[in-house]
This record gives sequence, C-alpha cells and structure tokens, in this order.
Amino acid sequence: MLTRRFFLRGPAIVMAGAGALPFWLARAATAAEGKRKILVAIFQRGAADGLNVVVPFADKRYYELRPTIGIPAPGPQNGVIDLDGHFGLNPALQPLKALWDKQQLAIVEATGSPDPSRSHFDAQDYMESGTPGVKSDGWLNRALTPGGPDTSPVRAIAMGAQLPRTLRGVHSAIAVANIQQLRLGDQNGASALESMYANTADAKMGHAGKDAFSAMKMIQSLTQGNYTPAGGAQYGQGGELGRSLQQVARLIKADVGVEAAFAEVGGWDHHGNEPPQLTNLLRQFGSALAAFALDMGDRMEDIVLVTMSEFGRTAEENGNSGTDHGHGDLMMVLGGPVRGGKVYGRWPGLEKEQLYEGRDLAVTTDFRDVLGELISGHLGQQNLGQVFPGHKPGEPLGLLRS
Amino acid sequence: MKRLLFTVTAATLLAIGVPFLGSAVGRFDNRLSKEQEILQALNRLTFGPRSGDVETVRRMGVAKWIDLQLHPERIPENPELEAKLKPLESLRMESAEIFKQYGAVPRALVPQFTPLNQLLSQEQMRKILNGTAEERQSALNDLDPEKRRKVLPMVPPAVISTPELQKELAEARKAQQEEQQKEFRRLMPPLPDLLTADQIPIAQRGTPEQRQALFASLDPVKRQQVAGALGPQSLSGFPEMRRAGMAARQPQQVAIADLREGKLYRALYSNRQLEEVLVDFWFNHFNVDEAKGSDRMMLASYERDAIRPHVLGHFKDLLLATARHPAMLFYLDNWESISPDALQTLQVGPFATGMNLTQVLGRQAHGLNENYGRELMELHTLGVNGGYTQQDVIEVARCFTGWTIRQPNVKPEFQFASFMHDNGEKTVLGRKIPAGGGEQDGLRVIDMLAHHPSTARFISGKLARYFVADDPPKALLDKMVQTFTKTDGDLRAVLETMFTSREFFSEGAWQSKVKTPFELVVSAVRATQADTTDSFALVQRIADLGEPLYGKVEPTGYVDNSEAWLSTGGLLGRINFATTLSAGRIVGVKIDASRLDGKDTATMERELLNRSPSPETQAAIENGLGGKPATPALITGLVISSPDFQRR
Repeated sequence: MLTRRFFLRGPAIVMAGAGALPFWLARAATAAEGKRKILVAIFQRGAADGLNVVVPFADKRYYELRPTIGIPAPGPQNGVIDLDGHFGLNPALQPLKALWDKQQLAIVEATGSPDPSRSHFDAQDYMESGTPGVKSDGWLNRALTPGGPDTSPVRAIAMGAQLPRTLRGVHSAIAVANIQQLRLGDQNGASALESMYANTADAKMGHAGKDAFSAMKMIQSLTQGNYTPAGGAQYGQGGELGRSLQQVARLIKADVGVEAAFAEVGGWDHHGNEPPQLTNLLRQFGSALAAFALDMGDRMEDIVLVTMSEFGRTAEENGNSGTDHGHGDLMMVLGGPVRGGKVYGRWPGLEKEQLYEGRDLAVTTDFRDVLGELISGHLGQQNLGQVFPGHKPGEPLGLLRS
Repeated sequence: MKRLLFTVTAATLLAIGVPFLGSAVGRFDNRLSKEQEILQALNRLTFGPRSGDVETVRRMGVAKWIDLQLHPERIPENPELEAKLKPLESLRMESAEIFKQYGAVPRALVPQFTPLNQLLSQEQMRKILNGTAEERQSALNDLDPEKRRKVLPMVPPAVISTPELQKELAEARKAQQEEQQKEFRRLMPPLPDLLTADQIPIAQRGTPEQRQALFASLDPVKRQQVAGALGPQSLSGFPEMRRAGMAARQPQQVAIADLREGKLYRALYSNRQLEEVLVDFWFNHFNVDEAKGSDRMMLASYERDAIRPHVLGHFKDLLLATARHPAMLFYLDNWESISPDALQTLQVGPFATGMNLTQVLGRQAHGLNENYGRELMELHTLGVNGGYTQQDVIEVARCFTGWTIRQPNVKPEFQFASFMHDNGEKTVLGRKIPAGGGEQDGLRVIDMLAHHPSTARFISGKLARYFVADDPPKALLDKMVQTFTKTDGDLRAVLETMFTSREFFSEGAWQSKVKTPFELVVSAVRATQADTTDSFALVQRIADLGEPLYGKVEPTGYVDNSEAWLSTGGLLGRINFATTLSAGRIVGVKIDASRLDGKDTATMERELLNRSPSPETQAAIENGLGGKPATPALITGLVISSPDFQRR
C-alpha cells in the first residue's frame, strides 16, 4: 500500500511535476490519524498594554491613573464593550465580542513571568523559552509529543522569515513568511540542490535544508492556486496577523499534519501617543482572530489559540499619552474546547501598594500555568516538567472543557 | 585486575574526552593556511570577493591590505560608484532640505477650499452667518449661482434652513467633488489621459527596448506624469523615470528609496569596503526605523553625519553623535520627554489646561519618557547585563530631558530646551550628578557610559560576533577589551587587534557566519561580476528574504546570530534568488555568464567561490546534473544556492 512516507522519502523526480503528491493520498494517510489537536500561539511583540486591551472599567483607580488614555466605561460609542460588569473590551476589538458570547473566548488577567526584566528582548526570550531568567529552546517545541518516521515535516510551523525561539528545539519546525514561497522556481537543479543539502557536512545547513525540501514537497501540491476562506471570513482587515492566520488556516485544512503554529504581531511598544496606535493594532488583531475562527468553523473544536506578550505596561500613563515598560499583562485563549465567556485569574487591584514596584500591574498567574493547562489538556503532552523545567504549577484555572 | 580496568576505563574516557576538549579549544587555535587567510580577510572585511580580489590581496600581502582598508582615506574611490549615486540627490541633502523637497503631501491629494472671507464681503458674511432668516435668504439669493455653489458647503449647517437650500447644498457638494476629481486627474493624470491606446500596453508590458524608446520619445513633463501613473513597481530597470514618478506622486518615498538603492550601490561598488561594512554594522547597532513618523527624511543625514564619520574613530564620539541626532531623538521618543515639574510651571496663562490655546498647540508632552534612557544602556553601551537598574533608567531619562529637536518636520536640528529639563540632582550608576547641570547632565551620562567597563566588553563582543564567530573565544574578547580601554575606545585600534589576532585567522572563524539576506545578495552579485544599473529589484529581493533595509522596527537592529536566518522559507528564497540571478532575470542586473564559457565545472565553481566547494557540494552538482549540460548559468545558480555560499 502506498503511503505518504513513500513520497516523502522518494527521489527528486517527485518534484519534477507540480501536484506530484496525489491529493487523495495525503487525505488517506491522515484520515486514519483522526482529528489532530492544534495549538496556535500568537506573540504580541513590544509589550502590549493589557490594561487598555481588556479594561478594568469598574476599578476607579484605572481612570485616576489614566486621565488621558483611559478608555471610557460602557455607554458612549468609544466606550469599552462590557464583558462581565468589571472588564470590558477595547471597542476596537468588537469582532471578538461574538466569540465571547459564544463562550469560545476566555481572558486570563494579571498573567506574566516572575522574572523582573523589563527588557523587551530578554523578556521575550525568557517567555519564548518558557524558562524565566534562562534562555533556551522553545516551550512549544518541547510541548510536542515525540515524533516518528512518519511525522509530518510541517507539524510545527511559524509564520515569518525567521524561526522564533518559541519553536526552536529538537523537533523539526519550519518558518515561512508566505507558503507561496515554498516552491522552487526552477526545477532544473532541484535534485542537485536537494542532494547538496542532504549530504553537506555543515550540520546546521543540512538540517535547514532537509526541513526546507521536505516541507516544500509536502505542501507544494496541496496549496496550489487561490484560497477561499469558509463562512465568508475576511482576513483583509487583519493586517499582517490576518495574512499569517489565513495561511495557518489553509495549512490546517490541507491536512498536512499541523500541530503547533506560531504567528507574531509587532508594534505594541507605545511609549507615546498610544490611543490611536493601539486602536489601529487592535482593529487588525480582533479582525484577524475573528476571521480565523470563522474560517475554521467546526474545526475550531480541535483548535486552541493563545495570545501572550512579554510583559504589560505601566499602570499610570506617562508624559506622552503613552505608557512605559511594565510587568503583569493578560492572555487570551480562544477555541472550541475553551470554557470561554469568562475572565480568569485573580485581579490584584491598582492601588499603589497593590502594584508591582508601585508602578505596574502585578502578576497573579504565571504564564506557564496558562500554557501548561493547554499543553496537557489539549495537546496531550503530560510531561509538563519537561516543557517547563523547574516550574511548580499553581492552582488549575479550568480553561478547558473536560 | 581492577587496576587494568581502571586504566582501560580512564583511557577510554580520555580518548572520548580529549577530542571533544581538543575541538572546543583547538578550533580557534588552529591557524588557517595562507590561501585561506586571504579569503578570510576578504570575506569579513568586504561584502564578498570579486574576481581578481584574491590576487590583489595576495600581491599586497594580507596584513598590508587589512591596514589599507582600516584607512579608507588612502583608498581612491571607484568612479563608477559616484556615477551611480549621482541621481540619488537626497543622499547629499540636509534634513531640512529633504523635508522641503520631498516632505510635502502632493497638492492633488489635498482638497483645496477657498475660505469664506475670500468669497464674500464682510456685510454678506454678517447677513448669511448672523443675520435673520430673511437677511440670510436675500443675501444668498443675491449671489450668482456659481458663487452660491461655492459658499454653501462652507457655511454652518444651521444656515441651510430650507429644503431648497438643502437640495442646492447637495448639488453644490456634488459639483465640488467633481471639481476636485477633475483637479486630481489634472495633477495626477491616469495613463489613458497621457498615452494613446496603442502606447499604453507598450508602456506597461513592452520589452525594455520598446519601453525605453517610448519613454525617450516623450517630453520631460509628460514623461514624469507617465512615470507617476505607472508607479514604481512597474518601473524596475528605469531608475530615473521611477524616481521622477515618485517625486511627483509619493515624494516621501523618494527619501527612503534613495537610501536603499544607495546602500546597495555602495556595497556593490565601493573600494572602501570595510568602511561600508562598518557603516552597516554601526547603523544596525544604533538602529533607527525609517517607518516611524518622518524618520526616513532624517536618515540620510543620520547615516552620513552621525554614523559614517566615526566608524573608525572613538566610540564616545559615535555615541554622542547618535544621541544628539534628531533621527534618534525622534525614534526613541526622547525629543518629547519633559520634566513633570516643568509641566507644572507651564500650567499658567495661555498654557494652562483647558484653555483653547493648548488645544491649538496640539499634542504636547506631559512628562518623562523612559525609552531612550533604557535603550541607551541596554542596547547601545552597557548591554542588558551591564549592571544598570530600573532606577538608573529613570535617572538617565531625567538627565536627557530637554534634548529635543528644533522644528521637527521643518528644520530638524538638535536643540537643548532648558525649560523641558529636569534640573534636580540625579544618581546614575551610583554616581551623583549635582542639580542645575542643564545640558551637561546628558553629556556626563554619555561620558560615563562610553567609559564604563561593561561598554568595552559589550562593544567588543558585538564586533567579535559580527567579524569572527557567533561564539568568539574569551581570550580574543579580553584582548579587544584591553585595547578599547587603553585607547579610550579607539575603534580602529580595536578592529586592528581583532583582525591581527590568531583567532580571526583560525579554523574556528573560518566560514563560521551565515550571510544575512543583504550579505548574500550583494556577495552573489559581486561574485558573478554582474553590472547593476538599477538596484531596485535587489532591494526588493532583500526585503522578501526578511531584511528590509532601514526597516527594522525594533531598536535591537537585525539579529546577529547565524541560526536566525536559516528558516525554511528563507533558504528556499535564497535558492530562488540564486537561480533567477544566474538566469539573468533580475531586472537591472546584467550578468555576464559568458566569461565562464568553455570552462569545466570545477573551474567555474572555483571562480565563483574563490576556492573549491566542499566535496559533498561538488559531488551533488556532478551527480545531480543527470546528463544535462553544465552551462555557466546552471552552475552559477547551483554554486550560489549551495550551503558553501551561504556562509562567509
């Protein structure tokens, strides 16, 4: 019986014609595996201002601390969208309200890392490593269960030109800015090239090359032509994230074995003139997430999407209608298996003595507890000690339906 | 018996252990061959050897060649470079001039309205705006219809009190819109207004020769309009037309286009290669993003006046130049950082909150901004583990209040605004800075940071990581730190220490760095002896591979560790670039593959790589050809795609 494995190991003649991998074959090979569970991680780079993304409008200290950039309470057109009487969505996140009402969207407040760094780059590295204070390989790579010879070369994908730390590690992961790039323009030297990279003594190059060619073969025939999202979903308003998530959606639907996906959005570092910039970003952010959920439709039952940022921002606004680097932030969790429509985590309050170092939102839920629950409950990786070495999990949050 | 076992075990462990130890220590101790030294010097001090470079260095001697590169003023510049840079005028302008020439939004995009007081007399205005209903009606009726049509959209809604007036207003608005569209079309005509039906397909899709002939046949005014209508993306290969079109339609883009295309030409053609490599390195270290606000209009000056003059000078001068440059002051927000106390004093008279004037003044600063203070220490000098605290960040930010820009967007120069400055006493890194220091506070911080031991180590580390290996040995770093400290941060001396070290010419440093997209593209064009008449397409390719020039959003600049660039899409992108380049299909880059005609595969490979490729690559090429003829184009493509060529 021909298997997908045969084609993956085959010689370069497989690449000689487009559509070399029969569509039915890929389907047949994966059908037996059942519906794969997928975790999508979104990193907001630059320290997103959680307090203005999900606003604690019932806490009057919020308005004392943010006289200029505070978002009005529910009511006026530019007021927050009430979620539960205490917290409200930034109005630019309107597209997420439906997901909240459908109980697919949950929010975890006051999340973050025990590490005190306020350096973007260190804090991002620590969060992506899942090891505060130490830079290592990625938590999402470690979260993958051991693979085998039939493991899809695209089980872990990152949208972007460079592989993020989150997905670095022993398991193969690929990074692509655009899946249309995953093809060789000229087939003439294809077999020579593949052999060059397969046999090179340069280990890192060889590894990169092997990943590139097997991913390319896998995806090439399954992603020809244009893609029409389901349900009328429109990614166009979602900016860069919309484009990334559209490709993630396409790959998931192509049944090529995606288990872990990563995308990032930059530009959250609003030291000055925050309100209009944050509004723009959130419009795209909300639109992209909503489009993805709509596009995936019923498949959302197998998908959990989680967002994070390296830290939050100062509770008090600064001199330039902006905020500086802070500490606690929030995470969003979206998906069919999520027990949504609820704000999780213990709200620490905004009084001066309740703030971290008197200036930032405190952290009451370690980000690894959020991720850990999703990794074990959704991806099925029970060995959390390996994913987050040295971390003792806190109280379970109950983010997923059992 | 036990003894034997012990000995055997020890021997085995030693046998396993020693090679491991040997390789860890030995890599940087094993000296390269003389031939390798030449290539090493070229790979690291230039953007890639061209044909004949190896011979030049061999004749001069590596040490002498390196010394020459360390003194660019002794190297006559390539006249070809000057010719290629000539049309990129903004590169030679002051920021104020760039704003003036390229900063305005084109007239066509700004709707033109005639104000009421130019359309009506005082009496008419009084009647229409403030008079009774009859006065208003009669005054409006007295106007001729043409004038009424212009007036109606300008008056407050309350004046439009009757249905007839409303109807007229709707028609007037429509007429106004049509007029604006007409004006837009006049100032920015589309192709059908400029060319005949036969000419349009030629302009858009003709062969380069056909297009060239058509464009040459037009008078300069029409040519510029056609260029504007076509847009920059469809004018690859026509640099002058493209630039003229952008100047007419999107003038701000000219500034960034000049920078990018200029950077390519310099890397490709300059004889002062090390200087160009250093300008690239230091710009990245003191990164500014062109996309933030109008930073792109200030980058020509930033690179030319703040970075370039100091790359072989003293670090403290380079640091100060970047700290005072409006591009950096704007990028990291220091220009609007103001002492909170200053604001209190300002809350008086016309500047008190709530007064109309403050609203008229628009967005204004409200207090301290920590951004520059932090990145100055974290990224520019001490490094993240260099020994500063959050409190230091705040204190440094206080020191720099008042370091701002005179007339941003018009005449962006450094200005110290004493009323913005926090004049209190500060403590930075344990040292007290007395009150009343004014501008000196910032200068003292610069001086402290430039001379801090962590800075010597951080900067030496960055240089070593860029020029030697991702993991430079401590012995080398110690030597460089010593030079840095001894010479008060003389960058030329530090580079000399590095370039003459045995670590630089060791196996550990050989082919140890993966080329960034910029380095790959430039080295490929240099290796193939191609002539670049338009670098626009190359700029696009580099951006597609993940490194848009001048476009790194974060102040860290592009990462300097090799792994980062080895992604799946990136690798396939590089291979596709190599194939397209070798087939002569990169517009604006003329490759002369015929110079390799008649040579055998091994010779071709050696000419492109300046050495023989690895046995694996050679075998792969030989076997992979599968009987197909080894044309220069095919071999060139394969060599540039190879793992060997991805490294420097």
